Amino acid sequence: MGETVLRLEELRKSYGETVALDGVSFDVGAGQMFGFVGPNGAGKTTLMRIVLGVLAADSGRVLWRGAPIDAEARRRIGYMPEERGLYPKMRVRDQLLYMARLHGASEADAGAAADRWMERLGIAARADDAVEALSLGNQQRVQLGVALVHEPDLLVLDEPFSGLDPDGVDALSGALLTEISERRVPVVFSSHQLELVERLCDSVAIIAGGRIAASGSLAEVGGGRPLGEVFREATRGSGAGATEEHRA
Amino acid sequence: MNQRETIELVARRELAEGLRSRAWRAALAIQMLVVAGIAIVSIVTSGGSGIHTRHLATAGPRAAAIAAKARTEAKGYGIKLEVEDATSAAVAREKVKNEDADAALGPRGLTVGKDPDAALVALIQNAARTVRGEARLRAAGLSPAAARAALEPPPLPTVEISTGEGEGGTGLAYIGALLLYVALISFGYAIASSVVTEKSSRVVEVILSAIRPVQLLAGKLVGVGILGLIQIAAVAAIGLLIAVPGGSISLPSSTFETVVLVLVYFVLGYVFYGGLFAAAASLVSRQEDTQSTTGPILIVLIASYIATNAALGDPNGGLATIGTFLPPMAPMVVPGRAAQGALPAGELIVSLLLMLAAIVVVVVVAARIYDRSVLRFGTPMKLREAIGFAIRRG
Repeated sequence: MGETVLRLEELRKSYGETVALDGVSFDVGAGQMFGFVGPNGAGKTTLMRIVLGVLAADSGRVLWRGAPIDAEARRRIGYMPEERGLYPKMRVRDQLLYMARLHGASEADAGAAADRWMERLGIAARADDAVEALSLGNQQRVQLGVALVHEPDLLVLDEPFSGLDPDGVDALSGALLTEISERRVPVVFSSHQLELVERLCDSVAIIAGGRIAASGSLAEVGGGRPLGEVFREATRGSGAGATEEHRA
Repeated sequence: MNQRETIELVARRELAEGLRSRAWRAALAIQMLVVAGIAIVSIVTSGGSGIHTRHLATAGPRAAAIAAKARTEAKGYGIKLEVEDATSAAVAREKVKNEDADAALGPRGLTVGKDPDAALVALIQNAARTVRGEARLRAAGLSPAAARAALEPPPLPTVEISTGEGEGGTGLAYIGALLLYVALISFGYAIASSVVTEKSSRVVEVILSAIRPVQLLAGKLVGVGILGLIQIAAVAAIGLLIAVPGGSISLPSSTFETVVLVLVYFVLGYVFYGGLFAAAASLVSRQEDTQSTTGPILIVLIASYIATNAALGDPNGGLATIGTFLPPMAPMVVPGRAAQGALPAGELIVSLLLMLAAIVVVVVVAARIYDRSVLRFGTPMKLREAIGFAIRRG
């Protein structure tokens, strides 16, 4: 893999008695598509929120290009939360433009980026429609547009493919692969769809019960076996869904 | 991007989306219709009371003396009397005929036009009676002072229950308080709904991956506040445009100060209540739960309005003074007292200082509650838990 750009070191997080993360560490390299798999309640969402800074870890560090990640670096992350977040009544183009501006783009740059991403994601015709008037699939495209519109240095996507039909999966994964090949932007995403992860990713981490059960390149983790088999083996002991999904 | 630009960006979004929203436009239209309706009804029922200007043409020294007397008493008849000295009685009568004057007074008596103003006639008759009676008493040998004393005994002592500048000021005071109350409620809830919309749609998570919670809260308060100012200005403008020319409100001299104070105290009251509403709304994740946490604030606001109405009946009384110093009440009480000319400058300054101090406390506490709870989803947070959040540091 390329040089490490994102490093997670011994992250721990508890909600009262419930341990969500119990010393999680892994590295993500430049231009890598990094898949993050684990049963419900394994700590995936908590981990992503900590990387984004919307949640504070109890201990441990997140390093970006060798230094502890700060607000400026976090502004350069494109984020897609698991439970999609868009303004229901705001128009598609306005929404993309606003998000780009919030991440520091000028008015002109933000407008150009919004137009470019609507074109690429196939939603240009819906530019002046309110988000709530769009199909779920198209809303998902807008959501990805929001994550990409400010040309981030890192993409963190929580279950980006859930609920999409095969066309939607192809459109989204196509856009992500383009970002990686053109700009070497690392993509970290979580998913339940193991065969999709196997198809798209260079590297994976399997998380269960707040710990990393296995991580590395597909070859290292699987040793030639299908990812599903490795996954079932790794998560058997922890008991899938042992901890309740916690919101914080 | 610096702090100010970030807040401005958030505020501009709130403003643009608000102006675009059907709900906001509908609320504005309804409020303007209601206020216009109230203004029209009050014109019709009051029959256009207030001070009217009347012109009187006089001829001869006797008429001039009566006119001078009438002018001193005109206010009591709701009349502002303009007196013009005509060269002769014929010229004076001609002026009435041409409608240049409402009445002519000459050596041979009073001439009025068709449908004369009864108050004007009564005013002149009364003045004439006094002047002529005085002349006769002096002819009978009384000194001028004794003659005047005989005809003008001191007026009956009259106690006005509501002091100040009378009807105009009182009407303006109640309208101002009502306007502020409606604005505070509607924009308190606009803030609350804006906070909850971001939480329920989870967009807040995306926003807060880019900016800090305090910036989002500040931008939201500014944006919705500007929407509120536009609304309150539009509603006040339509009310005054109809009511003032129609004569249902005769604007007292305190009008300008009142309007300035309404705007100043709207901003202060709005930040005070808006901060509280935002903090309360950040505790819930769904619109349906909003009532459960904003309820206590609404009760304070309603109680303050009721107390304000009681206080404005006696703008120099104890309740009015207390209300001037209580931040939940002051935004509605202070402009109302000023409208009635019953607000000492010292009390205004103390009120402003207390209001600003309260706002600082509210904004700090609200920002802290908002900061800790806006990313917590699920069942509404307990009030005690939220206050614990506000108190604990770190």
